[in-house]
Amino acid sequence: MGDLNTIAIVLVLILVAMTVALSVFSRRFTRTTADFYLAGRKVGSFANASAISGDYLSAASFLGVAAAVYASGLDGVWYAAGFAGGFMVVVFFIASPLRRFGEYTVPDFAFGRFGTNRMRLVAVVGVLATSLFYMAPQMYGAGTTWKVLVGSGIPGAGFLSDPYNLGVVVVGLIIMIYVAVGGMKGTTLNQIIQFWWLAFAMILTLLVVSFVGFNNTAKDELMRFNFAADLGTESESYLMGPGQLTVAELEDPAVYAQAELAMTEAARHTSDPEAFAAAEMARIDEAIATAESPDTMVNVVVFQKNKLHQLKNELLGTEDAQFFNQPGHRYNGFDQFSMVLALVLGTAGLPHILNRYYTNPSGSAARRSTFWVLVFIGVFYIVSPMVGLAGRSMVRAAVDSGVAPATADYVGGLLVKSDALMPTIARIAGGEILMGIVSAGAFAAMFSTLAGLLIASASAVGHDVYEKYINPDATEKQKVFIGKASVVFFALLAISIGYLIPATGLNTAYPALIAMMVTWAFAVGAGAFVPMLLTGIWWKGTTERGAIAGMIVGGGGSVVIIFMNMFKALGTIGADAGGIVGFLANLTFPTLFTFPAAVIAIIIVSKLDGKLPKNVDEIWMRIHGNAHERWEKEHGLDKASGLFTSGGK
Amino acid sequence: MTTPPSSEVTITSTYIQHGDHIDTIESVDLVFKEQRKLSFTYGAIFFIVTLAVPALTVSVEGWWRTQIWGGFTWNYLFISLIYYVFLWTMAWTYSKKADALDDRLAEVADKVTEDVAEEILEAGA
Repeated sequence: MGDLNTIAIVLVLILVAMTVALSVFSRRFTRTTADFYLAGRKVGSFANASAISGDYLSAASFLGVAAAVYASGLDGVWYAAGFAGGFMVVVFFIASPLRRFGEYTVPDFAFGRFGTNRMRLVAVVGVLATSLFYMAPQMYGAGTTWKVLVGSGIPGAGFLSDPYNLGVVVVGLIIMIYVAVGGMKGTTLNQIIQFWWLAFAMILTLLVVSFVGFNNTAKDELMRFNFAADLGTESESYLMGPGQLTVAELEDPAVYAQAELAMTEAARHTSDPEAFAAAEMARIDEAIATAESPDTMVNVVVFQKNKLHQLKNELLGTEDAQFFNQPGHRYNGFDQFSMVLALVLGTAGLPHILNRYYTNPSGSAARRSTFWVLVFIGVFYIVSPMVGLAGRSMVRAAVDSGVAPATADYVGGLLVKSDALMPTIARIAGGEILMGIVSAGAFAAMFSTLAGLLIASASAVGHDVYEKYINPDATEKQKVFIGKASVVFFALLAISIGYLIPATGLNTAYPALIAMMVTWAFAVGAGAFVPMLLTGIWWKGTTERGAIAGMIVGGGGSVVIIFMNMFKALGTIGADAGGIVGFLANLTFPTLFTFPAAVIAIIIVSKLDGKLPKNVDEIWMRIHGNAHERWEKEHGLDKASGLFTSGGK
Repeated sequence: MTTPPSSEVTITSTYIQHGDHIDTIESVDLVFKEQRKLSFTYGAIFFIVTLAVPALTVSVEGWWRTQIWGGFTWNYLFISLIYYVFLWTMAWTYSKKADALDDRLAEVADKVTEDVAEEILEAGA
């Protein structure tokens, strides 16, 4: 460990201390439920946009996007673009009507629009399902980042002696305390700071690799990132990636020769390709010689396959080569469409993001917030893939020069786990301080997203269930207490989920688990909420039964398909399963099916049902009318006020 | 903290009144239709452009193979840089148009509801 991690830990501790201090400071301004859940509904566009960006940019974005580009090239860039495009659906179709309708939460909207308690409770289930799916990768990210950063648990403290478990517990407890104490105001303030920290960390990393550079002693040159030129260099040779073969497989001369050929290709841009490849193969030989059994896995480099024209290649028995600047490494033709639809539609179905739209002072402010969100996250998603590309040459050069950080494993000049790219490239190019800033940025990404999810889950239970059904006469003090108790409950649940992920073997079943789990959360949100919101806002003929049918088909269908995919990855469903089970279990992104199925279900059931709420015109006027905004404008109440006032509506 | 003036909200099945401002179902339908036209036009452009990327990827080889500057292909250049400019332009122009529409429709809504409001208030009196 040593000094390298000490600086990083100190910077993370500064972030934690600042977070807790802000929450304690915000406490005095959190007296009403509107303060606790909605920050008094007076958050300005710029501040709200920063907070939404903090909410949105999770560990998957901070660690995962650059890693995806590093590993996959162009398909990783497409993944980033999908994340950014999601807010267009929000700004065009949802932001303004949702804010005009008022209320506190998405289940409130469902109840207000369709008028039944059953509808509200179905929406609560949808919020909890989406939030729990989104909490899982954050907690997994917390455990794995802690493991890299701190590297140790508490000796003799049972399950806390495992650094992963300790990381999950520590991060969970920190967020639990700061959300319960600070409510939405404290969370908003923290998300603003956390967003700017993680954006600063990402941009600083790009600036350092571009202008300071890395002194590649192996080639006796100062390497500086040049977007077009580096992209050209990385795309000259085949895309190589880490892989694993058993000792028994490597004892087959043909397999060994293929591994040797791949290593030669991976060494192409090193100072002395022949010597580099020979040294790497010697390391593999040593691993084979010292292996305990023929089943022992050995890290090797493999040629990456192109999936773009999978069907054509399977029919013709051909294989396309994969290059960094060409599509096809992660997504086949079908997934090129379904992945982007999952992300674009899923963003508008994330309850913790939608909740933030109620904190805007007006519908117009909601649109302005979304524009700024697009600017902020757009810059982030432009920069992250550039860092991912820079990582290809910088990491290889660091290995070539013998100065690659010992905190990660490498083979053939490549990171074995691409998720370690951000802290690794920061350490290579910017030393201990940049590594510390980036590590704190990773924690900031996890804190801000988890905090938003905790608020969304707590409001679903505290506001939508307790205040409406269990104790409708609750005092303001009781309501806030229940909100805080719900935060504690869901934080403990998040810790449990984080603990259970390695126990189920999911972490080894998927190569990029954080990104995969985040996509699942988007798929659940896209299926459960987006069809209901779009039809509920834009089609007056949507009935309560139609909306429930859509949520069950879209949300329930997504959950079932995701679990089938998980069971297949875990081996519960056999790889040779055919028929409908095999087809569904193979769907990586269910949205392409569940979203249209949900919309069709809503339309058919609504047409058959035909029972509109008696006050449907009144509801319509609340969603699309602007008398309230005209009145607020007349009285100057459409402006944002400071976060540090209390007693919002 | 200042206390905001009461909006004296009245809600019925045919109109919503906040202070002196009234929304009738007729004025809201007018607002809704204009807003729907704007939102769905922009939404359609967004989805056409976004889905054109994978459509070109699976069908036009020159889109992802031809290098035009350094290592940039058209595909790489579009989704790493140009797509964001497209998103920002769409969001900005949409927000401005939606704000202008809000202002225009607020005036129209006030005019449309003026006569109805008088009738409602007279009937209430």
